[in-house]
Amino acid sequence: MSAAAGKGAPEARHTMSRIERTVRLVLMAGITVSVALLVFGLVLVVARGGGIPHGTVPLGSMASELRALQPAAYLSLGLIVLIGTPFVRVAGSLVAFAEEHDGRYVLITATVLLVMCLSVVLGKV
Amino acid sequence: MLGVGGGIIMVPVLSLAFGVPIKVAVATSIVCVIATSSMAQTAFAGRGMTNMRLGMLLEVATTIGAVAGGVTAVLVDARVLQYAFAAVLVYVAWQMNRRRGDVEPELTGVLEASYYDPASGKEVRYGVKRTGLGFVLSLGAGNISGLLGVGGGAFKVPIMNLLMGIPLKATIATSNLMIGVTAATGAAIFYGRGYMDVHYVVPAALGILVGARIGPRLAVRLSARALSIVFQTVLLVFAVLMTLQAAGVL
Repeated sequence: MSAAAGKGAPEARHTMSRIERTVRLVLMAGITVSVALLVFGLVLVVARGGGIPHGTVPLGSMASELRALQPAAYLSLGLIVLIGTPFVRVAGSLVAFAEEHDGRYVLITATVLLVMCLSVVLGKV
Repeated sequence: MLGVGGGIIMVPVLSLAFGVPIKVAVATSIVCVIATSSMAQTAFAGRGMTNMRLGMLLEVATTIGAVAGGVTAVLVDARVLQYAFAAVLVYVAWQMNRRRGDVEPELTGVLEASYYDPASGKEVRYGVKRTGLGFVLSLGAGNISGLLGVGGGAFKVPIMNLLMGIPLKATIATSNLMIGVTAATGAAIFYGRGYMDVHYVVPAALGILVGARIGPRLAVRLSARALSIVFQTVLLVFAVLMTLQAAGVL
């Protein structure tokens, strides 16, 4: 994930603000962890044979399946990390706005996070 | 690359060409939108293209709009909406074409930001116009994407660019940030309901992550005029696809 090390370094022309640094860091970390889990899952698929499994592993049995080196568990977890990254990005923005003492945007960001979580809860019903 | 999700292309391809059940196809495409957004944003944010505060402000509108999408679904026939959106997309493409090139950046004192444009070699400073109206229309855009699962970015980009006076590149970067939020929320719901299938999602997501590294680099370098033409073409393709969907062909 060397998005930072792009050629020509146009980044040098722009000094990142705290919030930009935070967002970029969270997203790069999320992608890296997710890709690592997905690739490891695919390695397990190849090692065990039988092709890529179907469906996802439910959260309840995730821990035991991970310990049993089930490929589906690593693929599912990689997926969860990918899906969770924007949530963490919004939460990270909240912290960054708080550090900048921007109370208004702390409030705005908290609202976004709340609505996101609310719709996930409502969507399950 | 354009700040739109691409779900409208991916869903028919997966379901028609590969015989994937429609809900699983939608779930797969939503994850791909997240992958695109996260990956592209690492490039956009590092260049200061994304207006973080504006994005967060409009995310309030789009997320609330998306939650309310279910309410609208009860009131209006989805096919009527699809026809209406197709018409709006054609109108927007025509408006963008008429304008010939990008909006003239204006300093308005509202949510001002600046970025370095490698295509022109200049620092672009701009402010935001008509924030209130943009917010209200974003509620509508969120509602639409919550309802049909597509089209969020296709509406956000014209709202920000044409109405709020934000330069096209900053618009695309900010829209790209916002679609990640809507998509992640949708994906979490799909995961909970058991529509995620790693068999399709994992290869698609990994492929997209590679592709999404190229898009932003291209978007940053192209001239705003060229970018606008590409975007208009995509809008027209969307309009055709949406009409076909409404007519029951897809």
